[in-house]
Amino acid sequence: MSSCGNPSTDQDALMPRRLRFNKGKDCIKCKANPGKIVIRHAVYCKECFIPLVMLKFRRSLEPSVNASAGTSKRPKLKASGSLVLGFSGGLGSSILLDMVHKTYFVNESSANGEARGGTNHPRSASVWTSCAVCYVEVCSAFPETRDRTNEIIKALAPYPKFDFIPLRLEYAFDDSWWRSITTTDQDRSQLTIELGKDGLYTEALRHGPSCDLSPVDALRTYLASLPTQTAISSAIRILVRLLLLYTARSHRASHLLLGTSLTTLSISLISCISQGGGHSIREEFQEEWYYGIPATTENADAIRVVRPLRDVTMKECSMFAWWNSIHVVGRDGQIRATAGIPGLTKDFIVGLEKDYPSTVSTIARTCAKLEPKNASPGLCILCQRPIQEGLDDWKTRISIRSYSDAKLGPDLVYLPTPVPPNSSDVTMSDQCPSISKQLCYSCRTTLTSRGSRAAKPTQPRVIHSTQQPLSAPLPMWVSASCAQLRTEDRQLMVLGNGEVWVGKRQDDATQRNEIAEFLLDT
Amino acid sequence: MSTLHRLKVEFSGGLELLFGNQRVHTLSLPAVIPVDEARPSEPRSTDVTYLIHYLRTHLLTDRPELFVEGDTIRPGILVLINDTDWELEGEGAYELKNGDEIVFISTLHGG
Repeated sequence: MSSCGNPSTDQDALMPRRLRFNKGKDCIKCKANPGKIVIRHAVYCKECFIPLVMLKFRRSLEPSVNASAGTSKRPKLKASGSLVLGFSGGLGSSILLDMVHKTYFVNESSANGEARGGTNHPRSASVWTSCAVCYVEVCSAFPETRDRTNEIIKALAPYPKFDFIPLRLEYAFDDSWWRSITTTDQDRSQLTIELGKDGLYTEALRHGPSCDLSPVDALRTYLASLPTQTAISSAIRILVRLLLLYTARSHRASHLLLGTSLTTLSISLISCISQGGGHSIREEFQEEWYYGIPATTENADAIRVVRPLRDVTMKECSMFAWWNSIHVVGRDGQIRATAGIPGLTKDFIVGLEKDYPSTVSTIARTCAKLEPKNASPGLCILCQRPIQEGLDDWKTRISIRSYSDAKLGPDLVYLPTPVPPNSSDVTMSDQCPSISKQLCYSCRTTLTSRGSRAAKPTQPRVIHSTQQPLSAPLPMWVSASCAQLRTEDRQLMVLGNGEVWVGKRQDDATQRNEIAEFLLDT
Repeated sequence: MSTLHRLKVEFSGGLELLFGNQRVHTLSLPAVIPVDEARPSEPRSTDVTYLIHYLRTHLLTDRPELFVEGDTIRPGILVLINDTDWELEGEGAYELKNGDEIVFISTLHGG
């Protein structure tokens, strides 16, 4: 019996637990063999279970493979680019790797050693031109954890056809990595931000001997500046996701596959909604990423992020891995699992799956039906997911904030760094605008909202050349997006005498109109 | 003198880290639960619930909250009894037999 209320006052609060299985102990599919596993009250034998999981995998993946659906009922599978597989060493990605390898990259031979169906059979044609396995090492974010890249390389030894791309979480702050994967000649000066404060005004990180941050220091400073444990978990998740996406883009991939199981998908969905990400719930389910810019008819070739195990529960994954002797490296999940909303959601969903296994599937199926009411005006520059329209108006209506407390004010309100009068080394272009309007609700809340029980965040460890505390650096893709904003939006500068100058760039037509009466006809 | 059940217990999916980083253990348990251990009321045959209690008190080296919850295992840990889901065998009430193989697999180690 499980409680869904107060049993001492309400007898109906105890919900009777359903029987684990209610149609006998034999396999419900072949009806011959004794059952070996119970999946959502249904019993399967080992021989029926493994093809069932493979079927669920292919049923989730294959409708997304071809760029367009076409008219054929059974189109030949052919992707428009290569395949990148996100590999964490965990359970889901380990079995995903094995399934992709066996299904699309190894043509299993028949007993006499010849390929089944002959060499011209469609099965022999590669769906993807190549496959790269991408692993993001996160040990720099957690000093107590060890680097497991070598273990991952060993785990990938049985799959020689796959290329291995090792990444590190700090690459998100590494200018050389960013240059290697982007071709545009953008302003790459790294931006910083004072997190936890309204407005989220950015400042350019001036390069110099005292503030030339290494990528690891930049990563740690960024994470240390975040106001809550939930924000740290969320930030790491976003960094890993964007590192994978940009890497997939640099490899001209058409698909990025992730080993998210039904259970972990349900955890992500509930966690995403709990953190204010309801507007992008569809992207949490299945995403098409247009290189960080909104989708148009001209950029039809997107990277499809597919989760082929989204119909397979964690229990099924475990049994599949056990019966197929798939080695799972595992990871130090306990460090992240206990942190903030994602950890609490995980505990809740895993407990729910034990007592009421069908409800986990219900979460995913219900979320799959949700979609936002209005089209999005753009993408968030941090997580690169759609921004909700009218966010400022809505936030103004629901928020009541007062900074009358003199002690609280400086902690919550942005105060620009004063510039010495007649300073020649600081120009308008060094000052960057607020990024608040370019963030989705979830990212904005994550960066600014402190929990009522949270301690005041520690000061960032890196110090400006002027010995004032420096705010947190931002990932490279945010800096790249802000480079464009700097030329379009307002620029803020505060002089040493307290004067605040706001500059706004006008386009040529507006400028011409303003001075039209002073122009001489030629 | 009571008879002993010889059991093979295996941990996988990261659980072995809680048991001295040893995946396979061979145990000898009494066929009848000692009266003063686990269930003090009356003697009864050794079952999986007693095995979990035994593992917690004798073999677990680190963080019991990651293995047990109350007198059963924590959600997210899959138990196989002779390669069969323990839900088909009666879960904790399954009476152990000589030569049984019990596997504990953690499913909580990432995606």
